[in-house]
Amino acid sequence: MIKNIQFIFVFLIALAAFSCSDSQRKLPYLGNKQVGENGDTVFHTIRDFKFVNQDNDTITNEAYKDKIYISDFFFTSCPTICPVMKTQMLRVYEKFKDNPQVGILSHTIDPRHDSVQVLKAYRDRLGIKGNMWQFVTGEQDDIYEIAQKFYMVSAMEDSAAKEEGGFVHSGAFILTDKQRHVRGMYDGTKEEEVTKLIKDIQLLLSEQP
Amino acid sequence: MKKSLCVIFSGVLLASCGSSEEIKYEQYLVNGEQHYLKHCSNCHQADGSGLKDLYPPLAGSDFLNNKELVICLIRNGMSGEIKVNGKVYNQPMPGNKQLYELDIAELTTYIYTKWGNSKEITEVSSVKKTLGECKTKE
Ligand code: HEC
Repeated sequence: MIKNIQFIFVFLIALAAFSCSDSQRKLPYLGNKQVGENGDTVFHTIRDFKFVNQDNDTITNEAYKDKIYISDFFFTSCPTICPVMKTQMLRVYEKFKDNPQVGILSHTIDPRHDSVQVLKAYRDRLGIKGNMWQFVTGEQDDIYEIAQKFYMVSAMEDSAAKEEGGFVHSGAFILTDKQRHVRGMYDGTKEEEVTKLIKDIQLLLSEQP
Repeated sequence: MKKSLCVIFSGVLLASCGSSEEIKYEQYLVNGEQHYLKHCSNCHQADGSGLKDLYPPLAGSDFLNNKELVICLIRNGMSGEIKVNGKVYNQPMPGNKQLYELDIAELTTYIYTKWGNSKEITEVSSVKKTLGECKTKE
């Protein structure tokens, strides 16, 4: 009996500690950290970028200034994971579409096929309005480079990957804060991971009001 | 312990009492669902509702009236504009060259049971015949 009570006690303390840490939970900084000239930590930062969106407008990092944004890499003719990713990203869109501090940036990894017109039709059919969620294309090498080196996900052409439509790529959603530091990576094909992403966006919004 | 064994055993007996035709139908449905979740639900969703204006629904789709066409498009895919319940869709659907005729029969049985008001097996022989007559081959 006494043992039991002890056990419950320990359990309660653990619970309290746990719930405490969750309310003050802070998202990690992902990627390489470096020490700057004056001894500060310099976090991994997404480099400047310049792409073209579904309306043939130029989209640069300026468009995401003072925004928390979520990125992914996909292509419109992808038979396997992209439709699931888009289903899940729509949840993020529905949740934050009216919040000017949140944006979504979807890069095609098949720019030869996914022209501006193709992206526009695809986006329209998904029912996306306004400029919260941009679909962009650009030079293939430029997109692959930013994917691999900066968003830290795989994206490449591979004709051996027939079932995947000729490309190998990750289904990750990458969460970036207002300083373009990567603060989270989520599997965009899994509902529960995207639920966590939505919670983390809220957390980040309260950290960076 | 003995009792539960007994129950299990009589359950097995009962199940085997069903006609072999019924068992085959059940088998088709179970396998058909697996194929559906592996090859189709990414786009058409597990409940067959489709995704916005991009991927058409199977649930309640008037396109299912033409079973031959459906069998052909599972194998060969399709592209260009189509109308489902009066709404226009236009996005290529990839074909499934890797599926066996049996897979397609199971898949079709599942789809038509779930969304096509049907309670019968789509036989492998009829899938074979239909595939031989598809307009777009390779
Ligand atoms: C990559 C996404 C994708 C996958 C995977 C997919 N479909 Fe489709 N499907 C589509 C699209 C897009 C159309 C509309 C084609 C068009 O516009 O020409 C369609 C049309 C259809 C139609 C006719 C229209 C309707 O809604 O009734 C049927 C039936 C169908 N698909 C069944 C299947 C089956 C069965 C599978 C699995 C073997 C499957 N699809 C896999 C995207 C997909």
